[in-house]
Amino acid sequence: MSNRVAIIGVGITPFKARYLDKTYFELAYDATKLALEDANRNGAEITHKDLQSTVYGIYNELFERQFMPDIFTNSYLGMNDKPGTRIASGGATGGYTVRMAFAEVASGLSDLCLCIGLEKCNDCYDEQTGTTTPEVLNAIAYSADLTYEYPMGMMAASSYVSMVNAHYEEFGNPTEEQMAYVSVKNHGNATLNPKSQSPMKITVEDVIYSRIICYPFKMLDCCLYSEASAALILASEQKVKELGIEKPIWITGVGAANTDCFIGNRESIGRLYSNIEAAKAAYKMAGLDYNKIKDQIDVAELHDAFSGQEVISYEELGFVPFGEGGPWIEKSFEKPGEGPWINGELPCCPSGGLIGCGHAVGATGIMSTGEAALQIRGDAGKHQVKIEKGRAIAHSIGGPGAAYAAIIVMANEEGLKKP
Amino acid sequence: MSEDNFQAHEIRDVIKIQYKYTMGGQSKFFIELKENKKLLGTKCTNCGKTWMPPRINCSECYEPAEWVEMKQTGTIKVSTIVWYTTSAFIQSVPYGIAFIQLDNADTGLLQGIFSENLVPSKIKKGERVKAVFKRREDREGKMTDFFFVPEDEYEMWISKPEYEGSA
Repeated sequence: MSNRVAIIGVGITPFKARYLDKTYFELAYDATKLALEDANRNGAEITHKDLQSTVYGIYNELFERQFMPDIFTNSYLGMNDKPGTRIASGGATGGYTVRMAFAEVASGLSDLCLCIGLEKCNDCYDEQTGTTTPEVLNAIAYSADLTYEYPMGMMAASSYVSMVNAHYEEFGNPTEEQMAYVSVKNHGNATLNPKSQSPMKITVEDVIYSRIICYPFKMLDCCLYSEASAALILASEQKVKELGIEKPIWITGVGAANTDCFIGNRESIGRLYSNIEAAKAAYKMAGLDYNKIKDQIDVAELHDAFSGQEVISYEELGFVPFGEGGPWIEKSFEKPGEGPWINGELPCCPSGGLIGCGHAVGATGIMSTGEAALQIRGDAGKHQVKIEKGRAIAHSIGGPGAAYAAIIVMANEEGLKKP
Repeated sequence: MSEDNFQAHEIRDVIKIQYKYTMGGQSKFFIELKENKKLLGTKCTNCGKTWMPPRINCSECYEPAEWVEMKQTGTIKVSTIVWYTTSAFIQSVPYGIAFIQLDNADTGLLQGIFSENLVPSKIKKGERVKAVFKRREDREGKMTDFFFVPEDEYEMWISKPEYEGSA
């Protein structure tokens, strides 16, 4: 019998283009301190010395300019002589890190676990152009197969756009306009999140006429790379009682899957089987229904690295049938109570998501999980959405062809009741 | 603690590692590409699935796969044109890439698409394409030894001195 696991503290640093005043492990320290403070406001009286283990989510050694960056972070966080494990699963690093931290606590290996993601990408610098971005993109492109894919100029955007273009060919959606609505929504939501990197009030036209990146993705369809750290403190049910936690957020479902990283090997390029399998597994564990999920949760923090990807996720995560993701967001624009908007039937990315808040890869999925937890705790701040069912999901995808996917389902005390 | 008038110290650096890596069981693909302008795939001895890029074992059956010569014509499954990219390729934009299903393959191969008319409508799904190779002295046994062009541009591409069609 496994232990029940709760998120008792959330710490998220601001997502910024660059922290000149902090290294990656200094950012991790800030997030850990914020998570401890949050846990203590939530009824605990703990310090870092009470934490029994750490699971680190750090994607890319080339960003941190350090192999095994977790062990150097472990030292700076004062976590010596305790177990620490690193997870690296591309863009899904955060979600997978939550999954492994959950497993540590559920199995009884740890009663109080620090689950922390971090990334500091913009120390990469391209001397040729005198800018960071092309070199950051190059450090990411090394995640493509280095023999068969990288030499073709494959990179994150061209990888994701392949699935989006194939999805459009198969289902007639998402259109460029439908993708643009995601950008309008998430940049807009970010204006309510003081930790976001890209708060903007923009229109569909602004997105469509922004600089082309790779057809049909435009600049404003793409997230920006960020520097940040995000931390969660996970506790066993016994520890929750012992510490007198006032508002524990229970992790009720964890699902993950890796589909073929060679996009050309997939039966249909227009579908992310990893998303579908991860969602079904997570919902099943949480006692929820893939076909009714839209009505069983209050909020979803999705992995919108690219706008078109969020539209496809509406379908693959079971919110709407295949082919209806694009119309779901387009037709609900400025219609409160409908669609994925912040005042809609199922708000998606009220934090701003990756497009609005930013994408600090290892930290991102932990930010998404933490944001979803804060929403159903009622502590999200200005971007708080209406909570009725007491359940939320957080979604992470990444890797070559978005092969990795991980989904976390959370519930407050109300949400533990059968839907 | 953040301080006023903070001054960051930045260090310039490059990480560089040299390699001479083996392609192991896939070596024959690269040797035949370089020496004979052939594209070799593999076919599972049990289920008959054709792997391209090749793998000498079938990941579905856990049985060996045999070398088979692939057709050099195929169809675009999905494509894009890249206008902004990594530091390694930024000087090459715009460039086209596509997943191409060769006529006797079961999987799609990622490759560059060259065209005199590099627009989405020209390199769209279903477009027929044909492989063009670098000339012998330029081929290194790498994926960049060849690329695909729309079938109606094939003669034009192989008439250029730096490129060749297959024998």
